[in-house]
Amino acid sequence: MPMKIIPWDLGAIPSRFFLFGEAAWYTVQITALGVLLGLVIGLIVALGRLSNNKTISTFSRAYIFLIRGTPLLVQLFIVYYGLTSIVTIAPIPSAVIALGVHNGAYIAEIFRGSIQSIHYGQMEAARSLGMTRSKAMRRIILPQAFKRAVPSLGNQLIIALKDSSLASTIAVPELMLRGRQMGSSTFMYMEMFIIVGIWYLLMTSVLSYAIHRIETRLKVSDRD
Amino acid sequence: MTEQKKIKPIMKKEPIDPDAPFLRIEKLNKWYGELHVLKNISLSVQKGEVVVIIGASGSGKSTLLRCVNFLEKAKDGKIYIEGKRIRNQEKQLNRVRQDLGMVFQHFNLFPHMTVIQNVMEGLVQVKGLPKDEARERALALLDQVGLNDKAEVYPSMLSGGQKQRVAIARALAMDPKIMLFDEPTSALDPELVGEVLTVMTDLAKLGMTMLVVTHEMWFAKEVADRVVFMDDGVILEEAAPEKMFSAPEHERTLEFLKQVLPPQAD
Repeated sequence: MPMKIIPWDLGAIPSRFFLFGEAAWYTVQITALGVLLGLVIGLIVALGRLSNNKTISTFSRAYIFLIRGTPLLVQLFIVYYGLTSIVTIAPIPSAVIALGVHNGAYIAEIFRGSIQSIHYGQMEAARSLGMTRSKAMRRIILPQAFKRAVPSLGNQLIIALKDSSLASTIAVPELMLRGRQMGSSTFMYMEMFIIVGIWYLLMTSVLSYAIHRIETRLKVSDRD
Repeated sequence: MTEQKKIKPIMKKEPIDPDAPFLRIEKLNKWYGELHVLKNISLSVQKGEVVVIIGASGSGKSTLLRCVNFLEKAKDGKIYIEGKRIRNQEKQLNRVRQDLGMVFQHFNLFPHMTVIQNVMEGLVQVKGLPKDEARERALALLDQVGLNDKAEVYPSMLSGGQKQRVAIARALAMDPKIMLFDEPTSALDPELVGEVLTVMTDLAKLGMTMLVVTHEMWFAKEVADRVVFMDDGVILEEAAPEKMFSAPEHERTLEFLKQVLPPQAD
């Protein structure tokens, strides 16, 4: 019997590739919704941390401490399994909530950093015109801070996309779960997970490119 | 009578002295931790007067200016505008600050907005002017500082002198009753100082009340009605520029002036 140099049937990859299309679409959706939720939570928590109100800033600090200090998988299981005695949440919403809550903590720190990086003179100039603190934040500080946050947010988005593979553990029919199912039904695990890997690589490449484009476009006004 | 309801309730009236100076600072004290940076400072500025504060760095002159519009909070002391006591209350401050135009050493223009948007921002967001009206006023002000051709560019495209002139226009847009200048030319290349001082001189000629912290002795000499010399957190002396620059009363003032004034060529 002739020895196969490569023990896998890599030729099977192209023909199976698009069987993962629908699963990839699930990955995109839970990532997008999760990060969107994360942005909302992140902004609120970042502003909370910077608030002069002790209760609010302590609460925000605690949120970041708890969420950043525990694995996403634990958070996912708490939402999906842990909460069942109170409320049953379907797999997809569970994944979105867990991703949102998890990324919210990281995004809060990204926003906090970029808000604090804006020179205090900007706030002073706004206040000297008679703006309230919140208006100055909205009109002057946040637009500049968002711009500075873009590279880190892009990074976080890519991390979130890959982290969404954990949703396979709670039966969300996304890429990773699809790979496992296809693997076990064909025994071509290597081939199937290579396909899964290529899909992730494609999506992260598109994201990297898009983030790069956005960064370039935002550079228009500040060249100093 | 629904008409009457529309009129805003007037804040509790304090007796206002009609002869009161426009700005009165009374016994102001400010600490940075252990450091006593303003020691019992009292100073008045009359309407239409140009008062220039000079002194070595660290003498507290910028801090004093920043205490006037509460960018720094003094520990104690009182500040009166047109005889009315200004307290550290957000609501009152947001209103009062519109009357106190502030120009900063480092311009602090909003980099994400074009020049005209910078000037319009306060008009639209604080005064609530419609955009076209604000635009018209902003263009007139840019014209006044000689920059109407730069209306649509971003601040990053401007020289330091141009940035500072935009900052002056932005402050003027609020129609302030006094302009506070915090070392407006200290961050500029020497050849750009003149254009900013020219704008300030023109402003003084128009009768603007001004309180200026500067190292430009030329400006103090030529434009000020009164010069205040600060040293180590106190006002050591104040006098008309002629007197201050020819016959100061204190040894310390003389010493400082010797250092900053070029030696007399004769």
